[in-house]
Amino acid sequence: MNLDDPKGQLAATLVHSSTDAASGAHLESTTDLEHAVDFVVDECFFAMGQAIGMRMTVDYDAVVFMREHYRAKFLSAMQAFGNRWAQDRQNVTSVAWMFAERAVRYAGDRGSIDVESARQAAADVQRYCKLHARRAGKLNPDSEGGQSRIAGYWCGDDEG
Amino acid sequence: MAPAEQIDYILNDCFLAVGQTIGTQKSLDPDVIHWWRTRYRAAFLHAMVEKGNSWERDRQRVTAVGRFLGERALFHAQDRLSIDLESAARASADVDSGCRMNAIRDGVAGLRVKYPPTLAHPDTKTVN
Repeated sequence: MNLDDPKGQLAATLVHSSTDAASGAHLESTTDLEHAVDFVVDECFFAMGQAIGMRMTVDYDAVVFMREHYRAKFLSAMQAFGNRWAQDRQNVTSVAWMFAERAVRYAGDRGSIDVESARQAAADVQRYCKLHARRAGKLNPDSEGGQSRIAGYWCGDDEG
Repeated sequence: MAPAEQIDYILNDCFLAVGQTIGTQKSLDPDVIHWWRTRYRAAFLHAMVEKGNSWERDRQRVTAVGRFLGERALFHAQDRLSIDLESAARASADVDSGCRMNAIRDGVAGLRVKYPPTLAHPDTKTVN
């Protein structure tokens, strides 16, 4: 790895990601999806950090919970609908902001977001996404699989 | 948890720290995420596997460096709305030089503990 040549590294990365975005095709390999989902999770953590700001810290247990919880859901969404990150990025990171705001609220005066606050925030996000997906699905009844796709990233399909 | 498994949690923790500093001031170009992940995944794994660093022990210090990385990226991005790869690379270079300075200082500090300045050199003759 040449750390002095970020553009050289970037070229390789961009070829990979732009091919996915341009084709809009589902990535075939689970390894590719797992690789892609790690970047998605990173970006969501970055977005959560932006929303939390310097108001409080986050316990490591909560970081572990958030990664395990959402990586599985994001991977499941990608396996079902392909890598649509280029299209979904803005929506998904907006929900990350909402998650963070809820977590800060649940953490209250503690000064740090603990795992319980993260769990409560995750439940709120899940409720919001399901309602949003139901509403969006009603507006576009012809969109096959649309409702579950809209719910996809943050809700997953484990809730029935 | 083995370092290879733990590394992704650590990277998430660090991305969160970087985001905390950047806040709402700017966004981050997607290629920066790719570049930082690749770069720091290798560096952190090396630190854990080769040097025996532990996240439990080092978390506070490393996430503080993550916040510093965010600060430097903000600085280098100047009036751009988003932090681009060039700014990120410059911020990483700043962090590298900061870490080198710390390592030298810590190294000297360690030597000072081992060889306190109050102890006279064995070859030095004392005059009473």
